[in-house]
Amino acid sequence: MKAMKLFVPMGLILLIIPTLGFPRGAKEEKPIRMALSGNPDTLDPQKTAGTLTFQVTKSIYDTLVEPDEKGNLVPALAEGWEFQDEGRRILFRLRKGVTFHDGTPFTSKDVAITLKRIQDKNTGSPHAAEYSQIERIDTPDPSTVILQLSSPSAPLLATLASGWSAILPAHLIESGHDFGSKPVGSGPFRFKSWVRDNQILLEKNPSYWMPGKPKVVGVEFRIITERSIQVQGLLSGQLDVIDMYDAIDLPLLQKNPNVKVEKVLTSLVMVLAMNTSKPPLSDLRVRQAINFAIQKQEVLDVAYGGGVPVGTFMDASDPYYADYTSFYPYNPEKAKNLLKDAGVGTDRTLEMVLPQNFEPHVRAGQIYQEMLQKVGLSVKIRLVDWSTWISDVYRKANYDLTVIGHTGKLDPDSRLVNYGTDKTYVRWVHPEVASLITKARSIVNPNERKALYHRVLEIMAKEVPFVYVGTSYRYVGMRKTLEGFRIQPKLDAYDFRYVEVR
Amino acid sequence: MRIRIRRKRQKIQKFFLFTSTMYLCFLLFAAVGSSYLAPHSPTTQNLNQRLLPPFTEGNILGTDDLGRDIWSRIVHGTRSLLLIGTLSVGIALAGGLVMGILAGAIGGIVDSFIMLLMDGILSFPTVLLAITVVSVLGYGLVQVTVALGIVFIPVFARLVRAETISRLTEGYVESSRALGTPFPKILLRHVLPNMMPDLIAQSTVTFALVVVIEASLSFLGLGTQPPEPSWGLMLKESRNFLYQAPWMAVFPGLALAATVFSFNYLGDYLSEQLNPQRW
Repeated sequence: MKAMKLFVPMGLILLIIPTLGFPRGAKEEKPIRMALSGNPDTLDPQKTAGTLTFQVTKSIYDTLVEPDEKGNLVPALAEGWEFQDEGRRILFRLRKGVTFHDGTPFTSKDVAITLKRIQDKNTGSPHAAEYSQIERIDTPDPSTVILQLSSPSAPLLATLASGWSAILPAHLIESGHDFGSKPVGSGPFRFKSWVRDNQILLEKNPSYWMPGKPKVVGVEFRIITERSIQVQGLLSGQLDVIDMYDAIDLPLLQKNPNVKVEKVLTSLVMVLAMNTSKPPLSDLRVRQAINFAIQKQEVLDVAYGGGVPVGTFMDASDPYYADYTSFYPYNPEKAKNLLKDAGVGTDRTLEMVLPQNFEPHVRAGQIYQEMLQKVGLSVKIRLVDWSTWISDVYRKANYDLTVIGHTGKLDPDSRLVNYGTDKTYVRWVHPEVASLITKARSIVNPNERKALYHRVLEIMAKEVPFVYVGTSYRYVGMRKTLEGFRIQPKLDAYDFRYVEVR
Repeated sequence: MRIRIRRKRQKIQKFFLFTSTMYLCFLLFAAVGSSYLAPHSPTTQNLNQRLLPPFTEGNILGTDDLGRDIWSRIVHGTRSLLLIGTLSVGIALAGGLVMGILAGAIGGIVDSFIMLLMDGILSFPTVLLAITVVSVLGYGLVQVTVALGIVFIPVFARLVRAETISRLTEGYVESSRALGTPFPKILLRHVLPNMMPDLIAQSTVTFALVVVIEASLSFLGLGTQPPEPSWGLMLKESRNFLYQAPWMAVFPGLALAATVFSFNYLGDYLSEQLNPQRW
């Protein structure tokens, strides 16, 4: 009993001593905790097309070039590059003194072996086709890489800036290292651990090539699939950053004094797509009527949490974007007249197929239905699951109307490829557009390319195989003390290099 | 003392019975006269009046994310609810009767085959089976009704079979058969009427189950298609607004819970009251 009496104060003292050692209020050296909306299938950038993977690997690996916040390509592992021989050859001068996480220096051999790995069929990269123009890879010295192309390819540089072009160490590729679960790169953070479906832990790479970066000791990705739980995590201080596509919880976050919300344009073009191979939607007047009947800003605000109307098939923040929103303003009278001219009444019911796992699209679909009913079109909704949507709507074009968002990549070609031919799900055929898109692909001069793409976008804006509703915002909720968090909207990738806690 | 407790319990029982019955009568009334009870159309959107809280003027239970009146949607939702409930219990009852009587009356290999089939169906989890049937038949109200009907056939079939066998072996039935009464007449006169109480009780309980599963199917997007009102669908749509507009979930949820409770209570009561062993 006496012993017990002694134990209690002793225990208390023992508990207090460690806390005294650390002065309170000092900067806590803790990793930045960010919610990830799902478990990545792999951390090997060359074996997947999953966004979740690239959201993580952006911090682990580097690419030769990379996009800045506006989407322009800037040097990364390559200090500079030039197009030679009318675009048939690209020369990269590599950065010197860069090392991988395992200590081996980065050389031109790593670039060559990595690119060969992507092209290799056994790797099974879903992006392999983007590299098909590369015929030969020359490495005259350790800091020079020359890509020999079969034909000039403007989109290639954007491909090399994307997450799936991450450069891996050559000696590990050759020894068959498992990058999927133990990634090794040259990026700002080193991989530490990954508990599947729970968390991914990265720690600072002290010898990163950007001087003074990164500023935080690490990044902890917490895998949380439910958005409302992410929000609660941020509010209760268990998370530092969350990425939201929806503005629903905004009022809740704004009320909290420790949290701030930043608004970023996504690379999405939200559309109401029309199957132009099916009457009555094959009639341009009907498609125009549908465009006149939609209040785009309203749909963006209610269904997608705010955004910017676009008027053509390109997102508002893209360097190639041009504003054609004046072609089809909201005008229900015009819509009714056009429908009357086309002889379309309520006797023909249009079927709107909605991907039911995307709540915003389902919400938008219900709003469209109501708006179209007001101008005298009858629309029936059918919810389908995602795989049915892909096979029935996207592949077989078995629908009248559907609602979806198109993501963009760094190069406009990836968004526009196949449009104007019957290979797209809107089945809109326009030979001029198709040939312009093919032509623009091989032109390296940015201004010449721009002129061609503007012509394409203008025709698409007039002929309206879609209602181009707009580009939505995404919202990033974070601690008020956090500065410098960046998102590259085209790649959907998180950049923690500039993050610091004040 | 004991009597007093008993009386008290009876009182509570009576109270619950009364409320349950009243609530179900109200549902029936709401389904028939939805347009009288609901001030707004269940599908009309009013984007300027989104997420209004309950007890706002004109929207007694508030509005949802598209500015639709929640009360009107709940009231109109009763129609599909009762329709699906009644029809699928009807299908299950009819199917169960045929299967059960065939199995019970013929016996032998027919009995084994039918019961094997029924046990096979029963071995699947109910919701999973319903989802499978719906994905084969396609989405929509009719398909969901048929799916739920099929799913619950075994429950009735087993009951009917057991009843049929036990009735057919009773003395009065055997003497009636000895007197030369034709078999169909025996079924109609003796077997069927005797199993009625059990069937009624089973139907009510099944009804409650059907209601819940219909809501789950709508929640999964397989049942009622938007913008038509359905309680399950309303719950699904409310999920994203739980913190901001909890009323979107609370009211359809309450209505659903009350419905299930009422049916279950009534079912229990009926099976107790109609049980011939009481006398």
